[in-house]
Amino acid sequence: MQGRLSAWLVKHGLVHRSLGFDYQGVETLQIKSEDWHSIAVILYVYGYNYLRSQCAYDVAPGGLLASVYHLTRIEYGMDQPEEVCIKVFVPRGNPRIPSIFWVWKSADFQERESYDMLGISYDNHPRLKRILMPESWIGWPLRKDYIVPNFYEIQDAY
Amino acid sequence: MAAASCYITSIKLPTFSWNTASRKPPQKRFSFQISAQQQAEVQESEQVKAENENETEKQGNLKQKTLRPVEPQVNVRSRNLARDYGGQWLSSVTRHVRIYAAYIDPKTCAMDQTQMDKLTLILDPTDEFLWTDDTCNKVYAYFQELVDHYEGADLTEYTLRLIGSDIEHYIRKMLYDGELKYNMNSRVLNFSMGKPRMKFNSNELPDVK
Repeated sequence: MQGRLSAWLVKHGLVHRSLGFDYQGVETLQIKSEDWHSIAVILYVYGYNYLRSQCAYDVAPGGLLASVYHLTRIEYGMDQPEEVCIKVFVPRGNPRIPSIFWVWKSADFQERESYDMLGISYDNHPRLKRILMPESWIGWPLRKDYIVPNFYEIQDAY
Repeated sequence: MAAASCYITSIKLPTFSWNTASRKPPQKRFSFQISAQQQAEVQESEQVKAENENETEKQGNLKQKTLRPVEPQVNVRSRNLARDYGGQWLSSVTRHVRIYAAYIDPKTCAMDQTQMDKLTLILDPTDEFLWTDDTCNKVYAYFQELVDHYEGADLTEYTLRLIGSDIEHYIRKMLYDGELKYNMNSRVLNFSMGKPRMKFNSNELPDVK
């Protein structure tokens, strides 16, 4: 079953894949990394002016990394705003996604956090550096194949 | 540790330098260990250093390693890093091991951070353990080995923390083997490396190397 937005995108000939609806009824789409920036601008023009959240996760060890964007439309007096969830999958070896900072400013720190934790680098982000871990950290902590180095401070409780 | 060592090999620049010295000022039981490497560009002293290294290698074949002396410096003033370095403070500090990427004068405790080619180790400033010359020198020799091993890695807090953690694990191993004892007169007695146990040996723990 295709959602409204998916039908609209198909009508305009934009390449995407519909991933159905999640448990809250939010439509989910999968978009390729190279098309993402242009589709983001198109969605912004369409009316989605609020990037509610941007997160990322590791799909499987040795698999892909996913960057998830939750968009909605904020307007005065609107009761049930339309929302859409967009996932961009990238290979683990060269995880590069165009940054949408210039479209929605709230992506600034959120993309930095995805970079810090999973190593997905966002092209054209103005200051892409580590935000949670110390700047000299090596490794991407939230990847499923990350091994914690044997620091003394990390000990099992007796 | 396997993961940590494969991170280190992928990094380039040789930035560590090596000389060692240890002093104990009489009033405080601070043991300092300053290690600095020889720069490859220094031509004339290269030969002398090669001889020193050969000597220490021969002596290292025996049980005790002699520590390489460092020239004592006079008129050391506390200096911070220049602004183009961003004013960073490269250090790794845990309860028993403090490593600073600076030259700290053993007597005046003036910290000169512009000499980034040296690492200073301050061992157990809170006196949780009872140290003898022998055990101190073992830790210093291990520190020396570690810095030689990490040579070629970036000078960041991450590598300093790895070095500090390795030394802490080594101290813990010495404690479990009985070479170190807790200091019962320490100001804070909380057995941070495990409560004392009867007939305990490091062989009984799976993760202590």
